Amino acid sequence: MKILAIDTSCDETACAVTAGTKVLSNIVWSQASLHAKFGGVMPSLAQRQHREHIGFVVDQATKISKLKIKNLDAIAVTIGPGLSIALGVGISKAKELAKKYNKPLIPINHVEAHLLSPFANFKFHPFPALGLVLSGGTTQLILIEQIGKYKILAETQDDALGEALDKAARMLGLGYPGGAILEKFAKNSNPKTYPLPVPLIDDKVKNRFSYSGLKTAFIRLVEKEKPLTKQKIYDLAASFQNTAFEHILRVLSYQVNHQSLTINHLLLGGGVANNIEIRNKLRKLCKEKGLKLHIPYSKKLCCDNAAMIGICAYLKTKDLKLNTFTDCSQIDREPRLKLV
Amino acid sequence: MKIIKDPFDINEIINVLKADGLVIFPTETVYGIGADATNSKAIKKLNRYKQRPPGKPYSIAVSSQKMAEKFAEINSTAKNIYKEFLPGPVTVVSKGKGKLAPGVESETGTLGIRIPDHPLVIKIIEKLGAPITATSANASYKKRPYKIADILNNVSNKQWGLIDLIIDAGELAHNEPSTVIDTTLDDLVVLRQGNIKFKNKNEVLSRGEENTQNIAKELWQKYEEFAGKRAIVYALEGQMGAGKTQFVKGLARAMGIKEEILSPTYDLLLSHQTPAGRPAGLTIGHQLVHIDTWRMVDPTEEIKNLRTKELIDNKSVIAIEWAEKVADVIRSYTDDAIIIWIKIRYGEKENERLISWDVI
Repeated sequence: MKILAIDTSCDETACAVTAGTKVLSNIVWSQASLHAKFGGVMPSLAQRQHREHIGFVVDQATKISKLKIKNLDAIAVTIGPGLSIALGVGISKAKELAKKYNKPLIPINHVEAHLLSPFANFKFHPFPALGLVLSGGTTQLILIEQIGKYKILAETQDDALGEALDKAARMLGLGYPGGAILEKFAKNSNPKTYPLPVPLIDDKVKNRFSYSGLKTAFIRLVEKEKPLTKQKIYDLAASFQNTAFEHILRVLSYQVNHQSLTINHLLLGGGVANNIEIRNKLRKLCKEKGLKLHIPYSKKLCCDNAAMIGICAYLKTKDLKLNTFTDCSQIDREPRLKLV
Repeated sequence: MKIIKDPFDINEIINVLKADGLVIFPTETVYGIGADATNSKAIKKLNRYKQRPPGKPYSIAVSSQKMAEKFAEINSTAKNIYKEFLPGPVTVVSKGKGKLAPGVESETGTLGIRIPDHPLVIKIIEKLGAPITATSANASYKKRPYKIADILNNVSNKQWGLIDLIIDAGELAHNEPSTVIDTTLDDLVVLRQGNIKFKNKNEVLSRGEENTQNIAKELWQKYEEFAGKRAIVYALEGQMGAGKTQFVKGLARAMGIKEEILSPTYDLLLSHQTPAGRPAGLTIGHQLVHIDTWRMVDPTEEIKNLRTKELIDNKSVIAIEWAEKVADVIRSYTDDAIIIWIKIRYGEKENERLISWDVI
């Protein structure tokens, strides 16, 4: 099943063409601009101005896939969660294409797409499984009984993990992109130098995440350690990152032990899945618990992208008749769309 | 093209750079390809070698922070990074001063600068008296060059012909390329906006999250009578971790909203509808709009793109975190909205916060 998918849920303007779980093209604006043949001015302020980029990414995605839209089976688009005005741009483009080429239009939940993104290039889909979505906007642990049947086991009450990492980098006086810089700097250090409180450590039933308390403890620690030397920055970066991840691992470990279903698989998606340190920690935990860890095969599939939207649309509809998706008048943005 | 080995004749290298030439040189990360960054002819030649699309900038290597300041505005964030991490494998992005050859700075005028931790390179730059480009010596998208063969095996004859001099220091330690830190999204916006000064001194001490939420509730009840008649803006100012989101949690609860209030940092804007059984003055579907400017590149423009004027006209209740970044925009709403400015500061004890407010 060949699908053209669009995602404009927040910062990135993205379009992809997928065939089943295979990615034929996966264009994200920031990367698209790099290869652009024209030398037009592209101010970074316009980063979130999807309207100006959407046509370009759609053209690029179809061109690279070597397919024509008229020969595809369906269009898929993110309807939420996300920023309303941004979602609107993707949805109206998707509707326009669906009408023009008379294709079914499949509405997709951005978080569900992150959740299922490890299935890119997969032929089998093992369930039940646990799924972790860790990104700038989402921190959720989900029980997947089957595709479309989910239970939220834990989610953040305040900041998302990716956001907390970005903010910690900022507190250390580092710039953009915070999370990635923090990861690099943490490599040169000892995460045990500065003890930080693991969030919600006293929760008996571990069914939530929180980063506000850790953030506060960290800023107090940073103030106390000023002036910051290079080694202090390295050690502080490592301590924060380590504690932030430790929180995820404790909740995950608790939930793995308390499931009534037998779970053998853990899926990991979202931008923070690109962090090598958390991958290693999760691998170790999975080994202890007898789980198999599945991570998307490329960095790009972890960050916001549209290929995951296409794959999700395929997985959700492969056993359905596509003609149930021909009426797109009902499809609208849902900024607060929930998984369950 | 000529390959030279230790001991190197600095003058020979300088002469090549001065004659618009391209020089392959070792650094503490990978082999770089250097051209005089102030020389347009040399940069054009480098473009042909790197075969990169126009618009992709080059970072530069300088010998000191003083030299960096000639070519870019080094703000306080950048200064700290220079102090602690340079010389070393860190490239700091700052706002360029437009004094380099065209194509070195990015299209938006930003410039990546580093000070290599390599005495020979520093000596070359000092002697040349100008920065050299510090891009890696591979053609774009090819293997990281740790030895000369990595480069020469991967370039075409045409590219080969563009190299004038190779400084061969053998195989380099396989260190990662430099970490790029963009400091241009700094808090300078805030300085431009100026300070919000309070006429009345309203200040209370919060002893914890729950307390902060209750103070929010009181500040809701105080202005509740205007709900539905005028827009109400809660402008929140306070450091990271001060409890701005906690305040909005309390505000939402007071408004009868049951949904969990999360940080809108990533989404920029989250809106919450009041349910049935709402407090007086609010209609069903009346909304609390929760905005966060922290991640905005150009807050003044981006907050307008979120259609805040429409929200004001619809008499919404709006809570804005990092309000100081959009102080001018918020001030412009004073005729149409009740604006309550709230500053949250850290107190002496771990959980204590000083919360002060005034209607501006």
